[in-house]
Amino acid sequence: MTRFSILLLALLALAACGRPAIEGGADEERAEAKSAAETRAARRAYDGAPPVIPHLDFNLDCVECHGSQGVEVAGVGFSPPSPHDATSGLSDQARCRQCHLWRNTAEEFRENLFVGLRQDLRHGRRLHGLAPPVIPHQVFMRENCHACHDGKAAREAIRCSHPERLRCTQCHLEQRSTTTFP
Amino acid sequence: MTDITRRNFLGSLGLISAGTLITGCGEQADAKQKSKQDEAAMPADLKWDKAPCRYCGTGCGVEVGVDPQGKVRAVRGDEKNPVNRGLLCAKGYHLPGLLYGADRLTKPQLRQRDGSLKNISWDEAYDLIARKYKEAIAQHGVESVGIYGSGQWTVYDGYAATKWFRGGLKSNNVEPNARLCMASAVMGFMTQFGSDEPMGCYEDFEAGDDFILWGNNMAEMHPVLYSRILESRRRRPSVRIVDIATRRTPTSDLADVYVEIRPGSDLALANGILHLILKKGKVDASFVAENVAFMRGVEDLAEIGYGAFGDQAEHYGFKDKGRPSSLEELKTFLDDYTPEKVAAITGVPVQQIELLGDMYGDPQKGTVSLWCMGVNQHVRGTWMNNLITDLHLITGKICKPGSNPFSLTGQPSACGTAREVGTLCNRLPADMLVNVPEHRAKAEEIWGLEPGTIPEKPGFHTVDMFRALVRGDLKVMWVQTTNPWVSMPNLNRWKRNFDDGRFVIVSDIYPTPSTEAADLVLPSAAWIEREGIFGNTERRTQHWNKMIDPPGEAQEDAWQIVQVAKRMGMGHLFPWPENDWHRPMYEEYRRFTLGNGKDLASYEQLKQERGMLWPVVDGKETRYRYAAGFDPYVKKKSGAHFYKAKKTEEKAAFWLRPYHPPAESPDAEYPFWLCTGRVLEHWHTGSMTRRTPQLHQAAPAAYVELNSVDAAEMGIGNGGRVKVSSRRGEVVLEAKIDGRGRPPRGTVFIPFFDENRLVNRLTLDAMCCISKEPDFKKCAVRIERA
Repeated sequence: MTRFSILLLALLALAACGRPAIEGGADEERAEAKSAAETRAARRAYDGAPPVIPHLDFNLDCVECHGSQGVEVAGVGFSPPSPHDATSGLSDQARCRQCHLWRNTAEEFRENLFVGLRQDLRHGRRLHGLAPPVIPHQVFMRENCHACHDGKAAREAIRCSHPERLRCTQCHLEQRSTTTFP
Repeated sequence: MTDITRRNFLGSLGLISAGTLITGCGEQADAKQKSKQDEAAMPADLKWDKAPCRYCGTGCGVEVGVDPQGKVRAVRGDEKNPVNRGLLCAKGYHLPGLLYGADRLTKPQLRQRDGSLKNISWDEAYDLIARKYKEAIAQHGVESVGIYGSGQWTVYDGYAATKWFRGGLKSNNVEPNARLCMASAVMGFMTQFGSDEPMGCYEDFEAGDDFILWGNNMAEMHPVLYSRILESRRRRPSVRIVDIATRRTPTSDLADVYVEIRPGSDLALANGILHLILKKGKVDASFVAENVAFMRGVEDLAEIGYGAFGDQAEHYGFKDKGRPSSLEELKTFLDDYTPEKVAAITGVPVQQIELLGDMYGDPQKGTVSLWCMGVNQHVRGTWMNNLITDLHLITGKICKPGSNPFSLTGQPSACGTAREVGTLCNRLPADMLVNVPEHRAKAEEIWGLEPGTIPEKPGFHTVDMFRALVRGDLKVMWVQTTNPWVSMPNLNRWKRNFDDGRFVIVSDIYPTPSTEAADLVLPSAAWIEREGIFGNTERRTQHWNKMIDPPGEAQEDAWQIVQVAKRMGMGHLFPWPENDWHRPMYEEYRRFTLGNGKDLASYEQLKQERGMLWPVVDGKETRYRYAAGFDPYVKKKSGAHFYKAKKTEEKAAFWLRPYHPPAESPDAEYPFWLCTGRVLEHWHTGSMTRRTPQLHQAAPAAYVELNSVDAAEMGIGNGGRVKVSSRRGEVVLEAKIDGRGRPPRGTVFIPFFDENRLVNRLTLDAMCCISKEPDFKKCAVRIERA
């Protein structure tokens, strides 16, 4: 099988596993959002943990599909872009699998009772109704806001209304948590 | 890739079910995970506090999020920590998993006659331990008891153990598993600088130009540090990474130059580089004249041996004897290491040897040498440590930002506890030794003990301790924070039978093959279930608070030791209130370090800071030891001063060290080299990481990496079952061909994390002649289809 066809198989696989059917209507939309959140949660030990890799090893560089824009193939699906900004921090796209793990088995060695933090899907807090919402998560390793808040991968609940403005953190401040170490 | 290709391909895909392409295990694992999300907390509910990672010696900072019910829900990389600046690796991100395995040990358990374990109370357990120690000492003397901990002991645990043993029981049979891991680095630094641990710090990764990795798969074992080097190269494309290794790894994939070397021939390669430096006139003559003393030790192979054959198979006590040498003698000595001769021994092309000579010899380039287990787990590991440092001494590339020999550690407190507290059988805190009268006197003074309390004779080193246990010379052994019945070499040698008259106590957080070998199993508190201090590879001491309660009746290891000491009438060693003993214990320990270049930060400062690099003087840390302008102990205006090297007039010792072959090499019967080691996903024997679903699911079982040509010749395919056997044992596992690690022909690699596929049944208990650290990297095996 060629490299290209492998890539496409990967995309198809992604589409199959990540996107439930959408029929329109408010209830269905909510159901879709919930299902997407569950799928998202199932691939992370907790909200904020690096997701595991939900597809087969296609022997491609991760950035071929998960670059700064992602890749869409009509009728098949969308592989989301990476939220990591390679120009800041310590990210190096060549070492994706230093944090993102394969799932080579569904088994556990021993049962584990850890219950992870859930994603907070409520709107980010605001000082008042017209104030920009704060960022409720760590920005480190999520410098590319557009990866999740714009484009194909953005869920409606967190989709940005003004993606043309590129300096997001000029108005949206990172709120680490209500309590932090000093 | 073109759109046309995509469209054509998609057109042909219409009939294929997309679902068949995804891994079945992905969906199954998704389903399992879902049920665990229902009662999860929201981010705003969490309380965050800092801690160093529980796993490797890098010492990354994490922040731990605890919910109002006292459960850990998340961790995040600590952006304020200068070690990792927010980044973690897969193990670090999945830290919470280590706390919540369903089979956590929660009660003390005593082995019954039928082999089962029965719950007993802590009082019964402590009384029994105290009685067993007393009986053994009364009948067989203090050499018949031991305690075996690790580089995962916190400073508190190690300090309690060493004080109880040396100051209470009057025995030096205190050892850490760091003997299997860092002892060669300790002896390297001690023989050259009279003081343990590196002079540099992680800022070398941004300051250096050339990074030479000696047998060190950093991409998997120190991933966050390798990321720092890679980031350095991305910002400064002139940065070069050279990977000297016996197999290709993910580290090699990202290196500029891969130097493939025959197992054990690194000694010859280092000497070959020295040869070129001298030949090409690249010696930094003024630095050498001012700061270097040449030394030469015993080199006779027949006299030294390997610690595994003949009489040495029961006890290995070889001692090196140094004598002064000179630069002139070095020149003659290096005649044996011309590039051609070195190429013949190492298999490294002359061009690559010359490249390395040019890199080390270039005064314009900052050079950082990095090493870990490849160099340390080596029958001449101390020699190899000496040689790497020699390369820096001869070129003056030391004690400067971006130019240092930098030994990396494997465990979170190998430095902080095993090396600094001194839980090796011959050591006392802060570089002191039990066989130096003034050192014992100082310890006795700080501990308030009668002169002459601490015995002069060093205890058993680890391998000899286990040999003594099997032989019956050691009657009682307490194991904490380590899993020796997986991690020791030549495992078949240490099999236990419960009628053997020994008493083995194992404190751990999970059942392991070591608890299966124990007469008494004690449940320990893990990581942030207790207050702790770790010291990392770059001399950074990091403190964390207790954040959650341990499960059931689990207790911290130091506390367990103190309780037994009290029952043996040694409560005077631990005179602090039981509800507030961490601070006074640390403050007492800190007295050892002050004023001698090992100064630790105050307790208050450690509570506040993201760790401090010792020596900490006037509240300020030291980034570069022995370096003028950085180290407050150096009074010179510029350059370096090796003020701890008292044996060589405060000059660093340059040791001439020859090439010796490995203890066991392939032959007709066992034609392959075996190397063992770790993988990114698992930490050491896997008792914690294997219980973390995401880590286990990524690397569920050990395998044997084969060269693809070798495999084809034997008719072995990827995933095929293979029996690997040595003169000592055998193991059956799956073959992995052209995976993340690619060994050269005639070589195989097996990771040691898997207690169901124990590679250490194959390894040999041969050791470094000076450090007594076993060589897990080289023995001979046979490969067959199973």
